[in-house]
Amino acid sequence: MEASVKLTVSGLTKRFGDLEVLRQINTSIGKGEFISIVGPSGCGKTTFLRIVGGLESASAGTVSLDGRVIDGPGRDRGFVFQQDNLLPWRDILSNVGIGSEIAGIRTPEQRALTQHLLELVGLKGFEHYYPRQLSGGMRQRVNLARALAVNPDLLLMDEPFSALDAQTREIMQTELLRIWEEGRKTVLFVTHQIDEAVFLSDRVFVFARRPGRLQEIIGIDLPRPRALAIKRTPEFVALVDRIWKLIEHDVRASVIEEHAL
Amino acid sequence: MSIDAIQRSERRESPGLLRKWASRHGWAVGSVVTGLAIWEIAARGFVASKLFLASPSQIVAAIGPLWRSGELQVHFYTSALEFVLGYGAACILGIALGFLIASSRRCKQALQPWVSGLYATPTVALAPLFILWFGVGIFSKIVVVALLVIFPVIINTETGLRQTPQNLVETVRSFGASRRQIFYMVSLPAALPFIFAGLRLGIGRGLIGVVVAELFGARAGLGQLIQQSAETFNMPALFVGVVVLAVAGIVLTSGFVWLEKRLVPWGQD
Ligand SMILES: Nc1ncnc2c1ncn2[C@@H]1O[C@H](COP(=O)(O)OP(=O)(O)OP(=O)(O)O)[C@@H](O)[C@H]1O
Ligand SMILES: [Mg+2]
Repeated sequence: MEASVKLTVSGLTKRFGDLEVLRQINTSIGKGEFISIVGPSGCGKTTFLRIVGGLESASAGTVSLDGRVIDGPGRDRGFVFQQDNLLPWRDILSNVGIGSEIAGIRTPEQRALTQHLLELVGLKGFEHYYPRQLSGGMRQRVNLARALAVNPDLLLMDEPFSALDAQTREIMQTELLRIWEEGRKTVLFVTHQIDEAVFLSDRVFVFARRPGRLQEIIGIDLPRPRALAIKRTPEFVALVDRIWKLIEHDVRASVIEEHAL
Repeated sequence: MSIDAIQRSERRESPGLLRKWASRHGWAVGSVVTGLAIWEIAARGFVASKLFLASPSQIVAAIGPLWRSGELQVHFYTSALEFVLGYGAACILGIALGFLIASSRRCKQALQPWVSGLYATPTVALAPLFILWFGVGIFSKIVVVALLVIFPVIINTETGLRQTPQNLVETVRSFGASRRQIFYMVSLPAALPFIFAGLRLGIGRGLIGVVVAELFGARAGLGQLIQQSAETFNMPALFVGVVVLAVAGIVLTSGFVWLEKRLVPWGQD
């Protein structure tokens, strides 16, 4: 087990001024694991992901990837943002290829990978479209392909499907699982939708707020590969219920707080 | 496809194209034609003296002699040269200054008051001064044009570079982009539409600069033609100058829009 640890988080604390956003997060994530993070709004999920991505620095504690402490962004991690954040002046092909362009890699292998990924996310034939010519779902798939194109060991996804309608979202969930089964990358997936977390994950991290901390880890031992129908099984529903009970109180508190503002 | 087939398909297409053109420009053409007709009627019927208004037909008739004597070409060439040199210099310098202001806090603090102040000042009013300083030749006009064009260019370049979408910066940063790469991949393309808007604004201001500077004293140029025609109450010749300027403005602006569509193809539908 020790040999296959991908990410180690120890004593991670983050403060913005006086605000303690994350307190003493300790955990480790295995190679090829699919982890979802759920928790009420403002509990520091995005902040956690950004620290792992190297876009934000920790106030205390460390995060190490393959034993090396993270101190900035790198090609070993691919970030999928909540908004698709495609560059409007680049066509789909060069949006997907931007990671390798930044790294200065122009090999036939890289080009083949880019092409393969476009196929994988079902956007073959759209190489020379501009982002504005694509639907939200298509753009989000480009966003995913772009992160995968640097062939990262660790995929960081911050509510990547939240802008999509319910049907597209379910399709994207199965697509993501299919892609993940292919490469078995380690994934950290933030979502507000508990059933999404259960459907996708090996383990679900439940965060609590004030200050943000890792409250509980729920193992999801549903068989893989999973189809959408699994969402209607009693085991699935029970897991969703259990997680919801864990965060219900916090979510209510944060909603009331937001209304009071 | 054989040449014959191409010609046939072209023939088949042409009425469709004509209809498309008519539906897109029909109202504009109609409105211009109506305006010219009213102008013609008013000039002939209501304004008794030729000294006050020239009709479109008189203006067209005036072009001939001005062209044959070579006068019109000289005026046009002179003004065009002044415009091109002044506008070109202002664009290069303005974009450079815009970059400088956007990239350095100190430069911004040092230059901002001058830029804002001079942009708000009607600098055309200084045209006589420049003629006094630099003479009646083309140099004084180039300076006036450049002065009028440069400020919108500076301001738009700077604004564009400052409006860099932070979420996109973050995105390329997550791939490990350097500052240089962030600039070329995000800041610069994001600023392009703004810079273009500044350059487009500059066209109109530059043309005003040419004419006004020439009105205050010049050897040749469309402004000089207008001024000299006004002094001799030669209304048709005066309007020839005005019409040439108007056409130049329209052509330059639409040429610019065309260029913009090619250089900033992600912007429009
Ligand atoms: N750059 C920042 N400066 C100051 N405070 C910040 C900054 N980024 C985040 N915060 C604060 O940190 C807290 C956690 O924010 P974060 O975005 O990580 O929450 P989240 O769990 O992702 O919430 P949501 O589910 O709504 O996306 C919030 O209270 C937020 O106001
Ligand atoms: Mg968030």
